[in-house]
Amino acid sequence: MVEKVRTVEDVCCPFCGTLCDDLEIDVDLKTDQVVEVRNGCQIGTKKYFSSNPSDHRYTKPLIRKNGEHVEVSWDEAIDKAADILVNAQRPLLYGFSSTECEAQSKGVELAEILNAILDNTASVCHGPSLLAIQDVGASLATLGEIKNRADTIIFWGSNPVHAHPRHLSRYSDFIRGYFRTDGRNDRYIVVVDPRYTHTAQIADKYIKVNPSEDYELIQAIRAMLRGSDLDVKEVSGVPIESIKELVDILKSSNFGVVFFGMGLTQTLAHHRNVDTAIRLVTELNDYTKFILIPMRGHYNVTGANVVFTWNTGYAYSIDFSRGYPRYNPGEFSSVELLMRDEVDAALIVASDPGSNFPAAAVKNLFKHPLIAIEPHKTPTSVFADVVLPVAIAGIECEGTAYRMDTVPLRLRKVKDAPGECLSDKEILERLIEKVREKMGE
Amino acid sequence: MSLDNLILLTGRTISQGVALEGGKVTRENVRAAGICTFDADDFKKLDCLAGTPVKVITDYGEVLVYSTISEEGPHPGIIFIPMGPWANQLVNPSSQGCGTPTYKGIKAKVEVAKSGKVLNALELIGKLKEA
Repeated sequence: MVEKVRTVEDVCCPFCGTLCDDLEIDVDLKTDQVVEVRNGCQIGTKKYFSSNPSDHRYTKPLIRKNGEHVEVSWDEAIDKAADILVNAQRPLLYGFSSTECEAQSKGVELAEILNAILDNTASVCHGPSLLAIQDVGASLATLGEIKNRADTIIFWGSNPVHAHPRHLSRYSDFIRGYFRTDGRNDRYIVVVDPRYTHTAQIADKYIKVNPSEDYELIQAIRAMLRGSDLDVKEVSGVPIESIKELVDILKSSNFGVVFFGMGLTQTLAHHRNVDTAIRLVTELNDYTKFILIPMRGHYNVTGANVVFTWNTGYAYSIDFSRGYPRYNPGEFSSVELLMRDEVDAALIVASDPGSNFPAAAVKNLFKHPLIAIEPHKTPTSVFADVVLPVAIAGIECEGTAYRMDTVPLRLRKVKDAPGECLSDKEILERLIEKVREKMGE
Repeated sequence: MSLDNLILLTGRTISQGVALEGGKVTRENVRAAGICTFDADDFKKLDCLAGTPVKVITDYGEVLVYSTISEEGPHPGIIFIPMGPWANQLVNPSSQGCGTPTYKGIKAKVEVAKSGKVLNALELIGKLKEA
């Protein structure tokens, strides 16, 4: 029989922070297109299929001329992009969470040369978690430890059924582990959320908390843990009896984990929510082993934080305008900068702030020249002045990515990129070279 | 009909995730993220059919989205819009000094749309470019 497809095994999925490393991808030998994805979740599978050529995939560099995108050579596109960056007073380099670590490192280099602001998507999602961890530390573990040992799992403000579809089956719920030989039956799952989410629907205990009142509930749990009696009937909409029951469950577990998501970081109290959650976990360690893990969204946002930190000392929201890195999230984070209309040019790498920033910030982003390094048409790239088409990391080029528990894994190349696409790293290297040339270095 | 004193939450859904990977400029993305999910009892008060476009209004903006009944209820008083261009017309850009906007827990009201249509991602974000 003649082989029609080649199969690439043990592929790391470049979608969410779970970074599943067991995908099998079939690529058609004749067309070099993905024809089958095994083991992936719905979203990961779709990402592989959408890497095939389509009417919304970029294959050539584009420059906006007279309001229309026109195809140009790489040299012309890089020259135009470098012009924009060199002539800007306060350029912003944003994104980096959906690409690999080598490209992120090049992003840091470019930001330093340009005296720019460097930020990654943590600034709109788990930034408050990073602030809290810097404030009070954190007890962490790898997902493998959780799989083998954890018997009490709390999902707080996080809905993995939707956001991290294979998390439950690979690490935290249904999976059998060394000390959890009966899988789901050996674990007690608690979900805290204002909505009775699909994750809550398969949990053992659901706690319905009022929106934006997580802080009060965590403090009440901490008080009860210390033996205080609270003279109220309910806290944050949760009856006192239910909180007591939860405290007993937490104290009597062998190994507990709090997985927390945007429900804590994007509500009013932001990092103060995470501060108290970490302190709760610390105090629970007086009784039993407890740890917490942020449910990171982009597959390599953890990598972006790690790479930025080892290069500059800071994980996100870094300002190079004085020639050395400074860090102050409320001041140098992308949305705050855009709201103050400080940014006068932006380079977006592997991200779509047009879709994901609040409208008022997007309006200011669009006022100034915009460069997008992007494989697909997005509400950011369509309105960009320069579009640099890129090979998708983890599908069309190799690299390293960090899982949500900061375990680095190697991304694989399963097929070639269509058209003239280059990798993020190559594009940033060419930009660095051109920028240096224009700055006379 | 209209509903006042609602709390807007935003976040990931699996169909929104699939749609954004499948193409952000596609109609599929509108169906996945250009929607507002209601608690079943709240929705009865709106007195309209599921799928009817509704206007969601907050202190920060307003947007037209399709209505739908939540599979993740009951959550009386709470409406949910998947993260994306539609939700971001409504969220509070203030981060209270920490850098991360307040994407969840925003006061909102909803009325059944009398006119207008639900825009796709490019039409919606394009208005910000022109403005």
